[in-house]
Amino acid sequence: MLDSLMSLFGGFAEAVTPMNLLWVFVGCLLGTAVGVLPGLGSSMAVALLLPMTFALDPAGALILMSGVYFGGLFGDSTMGILAGTPGQPSAIATSIEGHRMAKAGRAPQALAAAAIGAFIGGIVSAVVVVFFAPALADFATNFGPAEYTALALFAFVATSSVVADSVLKGLSALVLGVGISLVGIDSVSGTERMTFGLPGLFDGISLVTVTVAILALGEVFHIASRIRRTEHLTQTPETGRPFLSRSEFRESMPAWLRGTAIGLPFGVIPVGGADVPTFLSYGLEKRLDRNRRDPQFGRGAIRGIAGPEAAGNATTAMAIGALLALGLPISATAAIMLAALRQFGLQPGPLLFDRAPELVWALLASFFIAMIVLLILNLPLASVWASLMKIPAPHLYAGIAVFCGLGVYATSSSVFDLALLLVIAVLGLVLRRYGVPLAPLMIGMVLGPLAETNFRDALLSSGGSYATFFSSPLSIILYIVLAAALVYTMIGRLRGRRVGDIGGASASADAEAEHAEDQKVS
Amino acid sequence: MNETPAHTGAHTPGTASADAAAAAGSRSWWTGRSGLVLALIMAAFGTYMLYGVLTMQVAEDADKPGPQFVPMVIAIASYLLAALLTIAYIRTPEAPVEAGGAVAGGTSADPDDIAAAQGRYRTFSDYASLAWAIGGFAGFVLLLEPLGWILAAAGLYWCVTRAMGSTKPLFDATVALTVSSIIYLALDVSLGLNLPSGILGGL
Repeated sequence: MLDSLMSLFGGFAEAVTPMNLLWVFVGCLLGTAVGVLPGLGSSMAVALLLPMTFALDPAGALILMSGVYFGGLFGDSTMGILAGTPGQPSAIATSIEGHRMAKAGRAPQALAAAAIGAFIGGIVSAVVVVFFAPALADFATNFGPAEYTALALFAFVATSSVVADSVLKGLSALVLGVGISLVGIDSVSGTERMTFGLPGLFDGISLVTVTVAILALGEVFHIASRIRRTEHLTQTPETGRPFLSRSEFRESMPAWLRGTAIGLPFGVIPVGGADVPTFLSYGLEKRLDRNRRDPQFGRGAIRGIAGPEAAGNATTAMAIGALLALGLPISATAAIMLAALRQFGLQPGPLLFDRAPELVWALLASFFIAMIVLLILNLPLASVWASLMKIPAPHLYAGIAVFCGLGVYATSSSVFDLALLLVIAVLGLVLRRYGVPLAPLMIGMVLGPLAETNFRDALLSSGGSYATFFSSPLSIILYIVLAAALVYTMIGRLRGRRVGDIGGASASADAEAEHAEDQKVS
Repeated sequence: MNETPAHTGAHTPGTASADAAAAAGSRSWWTGRSGLVLALIMAAFGTYMLYGVLTMQVAEDADKPGPQFVPMVIAIASYLLAALLTIAYIRTPEAPVEAGGAVAGGTSADPDDIAAAQGRYRTFSDYASLAWAIGGFAGFVLLLEPLGWILAAAGLYWCVTRAMGSTKPLFDATVALTVSSIIYLALDVSLGLNLPSGILGGL
């Protein structure tokens, strides 16, 4: 306890240099600006910044990236609230009620509820990380290949089956993601796989290419396929200085706290980042709302913003803590940060706290600074961000398409990667068209190699005996929880089918269907 | 990944004719079943994985389970999912996700409802718009090195504004050239990032 506090103060001393403060500030500003542009999300912002950060020292680079990430998250939901186009799946839950509030002329309140929610969720989980990450790292030193295999399997099944609204489609996305990650030189045996002898594929298909293709360019194509067939938002939504009245503040408070409580554990549970907890929080608030005397959901409920937003940021901060302590990236963005750490020769995981404590504690201290900077920056500036939305749609998406090309070409300098980008983006378009969830694909891509390497290592050290996967209490517990979750969702679905309330079986399906409706209007 | 667009492309006429039939008011068997293209993609992906496994050159001293193990699992899973998706789509047609109303959320529905939901347009997707967007990007990929960043990116920008239904081609072209030039100046000249200069490089 005391050790953690002392280390944190050391971290503040490290982080509060004028240069690092500048990076936090620049990161928050850039991240928010990128996140606010529809179609560009926080993970895109981090991915596009990756090449730039190599010019900085490791601490500065990580601080900049976490600023961008948190800023991007806020930008995502700002955009989702004002235009109904969340930049990232994790902002969808916030957008549903948030956009309704904006259409009802309550955009300032929605933005304030989101900003304060993000602040509370972020600060609380940063405190938790400070006290628990070292313990978690200690605990994780006991993890072997079998445990990591179990963790990755857990993540796979959780994202593709438990959360997805069609198991078949979820699994298809997962299989595609893992399959894509197999391309290139095998890290265990050095064998060339799935390359057709194309030199451009030897190093594998880069995560940046896949992220940009699936999340950005595929989205542009999808919008192009529908833009002339849906009604458009004609007037710019009203914005003003975000504020909350005392009663709104009191209304939001329980949702902020519940959201934070839901978000925290998901930072360590590998189910693909903040999407699941934001939907869970949305679902919980909605269910609680149904029992109230004056239900607000459907008409722009402030709790529908406060909860998911706090949950999202709580998960994000915890996830970075877990990445540092376990070395396990639970979201695409965490995977990009992992790539950055490796570039500096640092391997996240249990040993990082011993090997590079100054860096870890400076990064954790910068979380607190980023949260405060964002709150100061975003409450007064929301109307400035909103003006970015006045860019007409054709030019906005044209600009995004150009930036997609730029981002991938800048990181790879290869036309081959651009062609790959196009092919995968077309795949992303088809998947979107038929309602295939994209998160399992990203998770499969990120965790596929980790799962495979650990699976093979485990079998290697056990001499080929599969019993090794069930030999430790932790992996057995993970498998039991997984089986329980599967049985629970199956029962829920069967029961849901009987009542004819298919959407009720999963919060995410429910929310996504509503979101689709909303998008049609905007 | 190379086979995906080929298969998507090969299947598109089927989808289009199905949707056209729906608009004509007659119920086609294909209505709500164009999602079979997903099964096709999974089967193609499985074939790619299987081909990769079969042609893989593995060192003889490679430890078991070797580098073929996981690709083989993925190949089998892909074929299995392709089969299950085929069965699912044949048994229960599915409305487009954004069709809204009673059939939103991709749940199964009566083909009549789906036809009604799609009725206003011949197809759910706007293929003309898509052709501008995808074609524009394909052109950008092919022309980036010969023409250079400024012209290729401006071309991409202009094509996407077409796709998004802009009605001011000349104005768009001006904006496109401005944007691509600003990016070029900002990144290539000031940050030293290497963007191809192409035919404008000699000027």
